[in-house]
Amino acid sequence: MDAAKYLFSYLIFPGFLFTAVAGLLATWVDRKVTARVHWRVGPPWYQPFADMVKLLGKEVIIPAGARATGFLIAPVVGLAAATLASTILWMANLYPASSFVGDSIVVLYIMTIPAISMIIGASASGNPLGILGAAREMKLIFAYELPLVIVMLTTVYKVGSFSFEEILGYQSANGIMMGSVSGVIAFIVAIFCAQAKCGMVPFDIPEAETELAGGTHIEYSGAPLAVVKLNMGIMFFVVPIFIITMFWGGVSLAGWRILTTILKYVAIVTIMVLIKNTNPRVRIDQAVRFFWGPMLVLSIIAMILAVLGY
Amino acid sequence: MHELLYVIVMPAVMGAVTLFFPKKARLPAGIIALISSVWMFIKTVKLFGLGESEYFRTVFTMGDVFQFDFALRLYGFNSFVLLFIAMFGALIILYSIGYWFKDRETPGIYYTYILWTLSAAACAVLSDNLLLLLICWEVLTLLLYLLVNMGGEGHETAAQKCFTILGFSDAAMFLGVIIIWLVYGTLSISSLSISTGTTTGVIAFLLLFTGAIAKAGAMPLHSWVPAMAKPTPAPTMAFLPASLDKLLGIYLLARISLDIFSIRTGSGLSLMMMIVGAGTVLFAVLVALVQHDLKKLLSFHAVSQVGYMVLGVGSGIPVAIVGGLFHMLNHAIYKCGLFLSAGVIEKRVGTTDLEELGGLAKLMPITFLTTIVVAMSISGVPPFNGFVSKWLVYQGLLQAGGYYVIFLIVAIFGSALTLASFVKVLHSVFLGRRQEKFDGVREAGFAMQVPMIFLAILCIIFGIYARLPLEKFITPSVAGSTGVSMQEMAVRTASGYWNPVAATVLMAVGLIVGLIIYAFGRTRRVRIDENVWIGGNILDNEEMRIPGTHFYKTVTDDLNPAWTALFKDGQEGAMDVYNIWGRIGFSVVQVLRSLHNGILSTYLSWVIIGLGALTFVLMFAL
Repeated sequence: MDAAKYLFSYLIFPGFLFTAVAGLLATWVDRKVTARVHWRVGPPWYQPFADMVKLLGKEVIIPAGARATGFLIAPVVGLAAATLASTILWMANLYPASSFVGDSIVVLYIMTIPAISMIIGASASGNPLGILGAAREMKLIFAYELPLVIVMLTTVYKVGSFSFEEILGYQSANGIMMGSVSGVIAFIVAIFCAQAKCGMVPFDIPEAETELAGGTHIEYSGAPLAVVKLNMGIMFFVVPIFIITMFWGGVSLAGWRILTTILKYVAIVTIMVLIKNTNPRVRIDQAVRFFWGPMLVLSIIAMILAVLGY
Repeated sequence: MHELLYVIVMPAVMGAVTLFFPKKARLPAGIIALISSVWMFIKTVKLFGLGESEYFRTVFTMGDVFQFDFALRLYGFNSFVLLFIAMFGALIILYSIGYWFKDRETPGIYYTYILWTLSAAACAVLSDNLLLLLICWEVLTLLLYLLVNMGGEGHETAAQKCFTILGFSDAAMFLGVIIIWLVYGTLSISSLSISTGTTTGVIAFLLLFTGAIAKAGAMPLHSWVPAMAKPTPAPTMAFLPASLDKLLGIYLLARISLDIFSIRTGSGLSLMMMIVGAGTVLFAVLVALVQHDLKKLLSFHAVSQVGYMVLGVGSGIPVAIVGGLFHMLNHAIYKCGLFLSAGVIEKRVGTTDLEELGGLAKLMPITFLTTIVVAMSISGVPPFNGFVSKWLVYQGLLQAGGYYVIFLIVAIFGSALTLASFVKVLHSVFLGRRQEKFDGVREAGFAMQVPMIFLAILCIIFGIYARLPLEKFITPSVAGSTGVSMQEMAVRTASGYWNPVAATVLMAVGLIVGLIIYAFGRTRRVRIDENVWIGGNILDNEEMRIPGTHFYKTVTDDLNPAWTALFKDGQEGAMDVYNIWGRIGFSVVQVLRSLHNGILSTYLSWVIIGLGALTFVLMFAL
């Protein structure tokens, strides 16, 4: 593939433009469903876009003690990485033979960059609440990373390869991963990890609006805040796609399969939003215990079952 | 003189020359050392281009009983190791000139030791004779002892510890060499091929293995690295445990496990090496999480990263071996860079205590930038070099299948913990808030900046153009097919694919997109606000400082008492064999001591018991 094609796929489809629009729409779904659960009407579909436009028009405030460059550049790095992760996933699903940029382990690593950039940004802001949020974010990362890695490896182990091409090929030949016991367990664990990765209640501990007043986001305003919100939207779009690719046969935009793709995605998002709306926020130590306790046990069970061939 | 001898003799001679400089003349000594190390580097580049060469001379023979050959052999593998040894030598000497520019205390003999270390390291790497290698190993241990002894407070105990542990491992190696001589009749590395099917073979391997991993600093013989971290000046740390000892230790490990003993995948010894590797990755990084001192934290990572190399090389899977060797090279580069940054902090701020530091990014922009690059490299963030080598190790482990997946999980999780640890470092040193007393801190001088920038750029190049080092250095040193192929700018194995060039370019494009979003917004109308918003409170700077040392307190202290105990032990000694042996020795001595109570009747009864035992032996046993 030549450079122009790479650029097109990164910037327009299935990269930045597509991902950003889809991500913002996904946050709208989240807000709408949440509102319905709360017995409210909820925002119109264009609300996230309106928010973006409005934030872009606002003044940017940088606190006096902040390391301004790092503070401003961090969300942008996160945006670039989140977009890259999304592009790799979609390219792998739409054109399995393209070997676009990297395999599943690359995506796993790239998906942590947005979180890291938020930590660096919060740390650069110099706000103690932001720093508390950053510390919690990091703890949350290595808490959920362990079960997430193990369940990801159940799929990788069965396929014998990290590459998406093989993972998708295996699933279309032998049925989806979720068709097996280990796959179902792995999927459940992955959903909880996704909850934490997207920073949703009960694992929104780093942001904790009611406690840390936004935590890692506390000092962001104007355009940088817009980018931060966009990042969260994109992650809310990418992580479920990653799970669908690993456990649920992947996504496609060809013919009728576009409908099943949307259904798969909406199903995962609905589960996540329902978990979000029926649980209170946990403390960070509870979250770590949760991921290194029940989730770790479940993921190890899934791994053992996968090794045994179930 | 033979071309191979130049790189050994020249630094040794120049080192001896610097000895004659007056004690105060550090700068001329440093410049002489710099010139000779650069010269050595150029020479090694030529040798690298030469590819293969040999030198052989029998030094002495003892009838038919023993023969000592001064045998040197240059080939694909050691030529690149030699190249990097000389490169690190030149960089460290340049850095040291800046580091000790105004320091009146440090004598010029430091440069003598560094040059001699270079000479001994070059000889060890080139050596084709096990005994010659062992002698060089001993010389390196001695020089390390001397270098550590030049350090600050607490250097005596640290130097003693280094000498004890490395001396022990050297002794183990010596035994191994004797066994090999007695059983196999030759000490020439290139002609030795020992089966690990026999007990002697296994014992010989284990003894040489001890020497290799102690040098590289893998568990359980790692504790000399963290012990020397605090008192030893940063250039020495960056030179020896961070870069040179990794190159040497893993070089030897690869030589013995791939060439001499040819360990096969799935054999017991391979499994043992992988357990050592995985254990080192996990435990050392857990201990690193709780460290309060920058240099000590870095030294635990220097231990932890060795795990990936031992894991890769020990697995015996070609892709993982390539990954392990590449990781050795990458680790030497970024860990050297990290210690150099720590050196700047130590020099300019005067402390490496993470609780004291913070907010230095604005005052030291270059140091901050280079540190962020090397820190992301060691954490394995794509597209830096650490990611490529770890990725290769993962690929190899996956290809083996079976229970290897456990090692795979440990390796990936260890990488997440490494990231956590370096987030803490970046926060508590460069970001966060600065104490007011450090407002006047200056950026590093020119001589200190150059090596740091150079290493950071190397991290980026080796990450993005990973095919360059893989094709030039690593693949030629692994015999046979490696299973790693290069396509355009990408690396491909049987189980995965990674195109760092595309990823980097696209990330850069993403950055531009983000900046365009900023430009659309009113980012130009920036207001620098008075203060941060903390729920309406007004606190002064000191009250708002949150050092990173307690970032992971929830995890280390609040989860489980057994877990907490592990970390407590970690902060003090960290499963330290040295301390454990110390305790055992002490308790034995205590028993002996209680026998010496100065009462005549006790001594008399011992004499009688002894006589009785002797009589018994003489009468019945013989």
